[in-house]
Amino acid sequence: MVSFLAKERTIAHPGYSRWLIPPAALCVHLCIGQAYAFSVFNLPMTKLIGITQSASADWTLTELGWIFSLAIFFLGGSAAVLGRWVEEGGPRRAMFTAALCWAGGFWLSAIGVHLHNIWLVYLGYGVIGGIGLGIGYISPVSTLIRWFPDRPGMATGMAIMGFGGGAFIASPLSVWLIGQFSTPTHIGVAETFVALGAIYLCFMMVGAALVRLPPPVWAPAGYIAPTRPTALVTTENVYVYDAVKTPQFWLIWWVLCLNVTAGIGVLGQASAMSQEMFRGRVSAVAAAGFVGLFSLFNMAGRFFWSSTSDYIGRKNTYFVFFALGTVLYALVPHTGAIGSVSLFVLCYAVIFSMYGGGFATVPAYLRDMFGTRYVGAIHGMLLTAWSMAGIFGPVLVNYIREYNVAHGVAAAQAYNTTMYVMAGLLVIGFACNACIRAVNQRYYMREPIGEAAGSAAALGGR
Amino acid sequence: MAAREAPTTSANRLKLVLAWGFVGVPLVWGVVQTLANAIKAFQ
Repeated sequence: MVSFLAKERTIAHPGYSRWLIPPAALCVHLCIGQAYAFSVFNLPMTKLIGITQSASADWTLTELGWIFSLAIFFLGGSAAVLGRWVEEGGPRRAMFTAALCWAGGFWLSAIGVHLHNIWLVYLGYGVIGGIGLGIGYISPVSTLIRWFPDRPGMATGMAIMGFGGGAFIASPLSVWLIGQFSTPTHIGVAETFVALGAIYLCFMMVGAALVRLPPPVWAPAGYIAPTRPTALVTTENVYVYDAVKTPQFWLIWWVLCLNVTAGIGVLGQASAMSQEMFRGRVSAVAAAGFVGLFSLFNMAGRFFWSSTSDYIGRKNTYFVFFALGTVLYALVPHTGAIGSVSLFVLCYAVIFSMYGGGFATVPAYLRDMFGTRYVGAIHGMLLTAWSMAGIFGPVLVNYIREYNVAHGVAAAQAYNTTMYVMAGLLVIGFACNACIRAVNQRYYMREPIGEAAGSAAALGGR
Repeated sequence: MAAREAPTTSANRLKLVLAWGFVGVPLVWGVVQTLANAIKAFQ
């Protein structure tokens, strides 16, 4: 088993198609993307004892809210701390570990639900599952970049699109499983967790078996690795702990953080916002339909924008996010004022496509700045920006709305200030992006010429 | 000298179909479910 997981055993034989790597990555990302659909368990888990309605001993939504928050916190933390371990041990060991953590988290949570012990659920899904999320999220990134030196944005975009798409599978599947395991005297959440853990373990193991590293000094047909760096694409490598000492890392950190803060802030409020801005015209059911549509744009944007970045460049892609995003956020209050639901939906669809695009384009941006060798580990460190944005975004939106309502602003206009603040954040993001220049040469790794040249053409072992 | 990408063989082609089907079918199913729900909401 240990040798099966070894990095050396993961090197592809001649003729192995690189197009098998995106499905391997998707096997992992589609599973861990379940995290976005965890909310489907919230209501059933508040009625585990009362069954038809919550009993006094049942868990509250506030208690349950911590499960997802813990998982996202440990996603960022484990990606940052274990990034180098993932990078040096190879993708198969990382995917295997992620699968064990993710499935193990579900099974421990099932025991927690069965015993009605919330702390076991926190430990299971929140901590162990969260660590699986972090390792799984970064595990295929550098491998994909090595296989697709000609299209790194598209390659990582495919995997990260899977993270956005995982909820589309998990949500109806979970609802169906709960229905199958429930009886008039029992809600089948624990059984659903057991089943999901087993399904995800099998699915992720297929990914771990399928994944390969390219042979040393491999290149796709017709691709000529650049021998000289361009203004914003290096041919060198920066060591992971040196990368965090550069201003470029922190500027990209802020670029991601601000893009995500703006998106995540309104993501959770999209349903309520559409109903309050268009009172009487948008029902709760229609608002749920909008949210589903926005999630599709979030997923599709991950692939579209990251692929586009291969042609227009990463910096220009983020310029588009920030410039177009600023205009669209500022336009949203106007859609409410003129009562145009279709314009509101259109603005939000594009906003959410760029929210997803920001996640998917950032690994290629890091590769351009810091080289291929430690891009997975550096990406892991950058994900702390996501954790930060996950706290700031919703807090900012909720606080501003409550402040407005408390000061007599009508519900329909209560989100206007929020939108302008979000637009302001994107202006700051634009400025951060504009400040990004090539990394100073003193940060480049000193290594034999053969290894350095492999930054674009990809190196396997080590 | 860099090793070049080899042309796709029929065995590889089958592997590709299976691998993409393995991840594509559930994803398309999920997207269709979501779209169907979204369309219901608009009706």
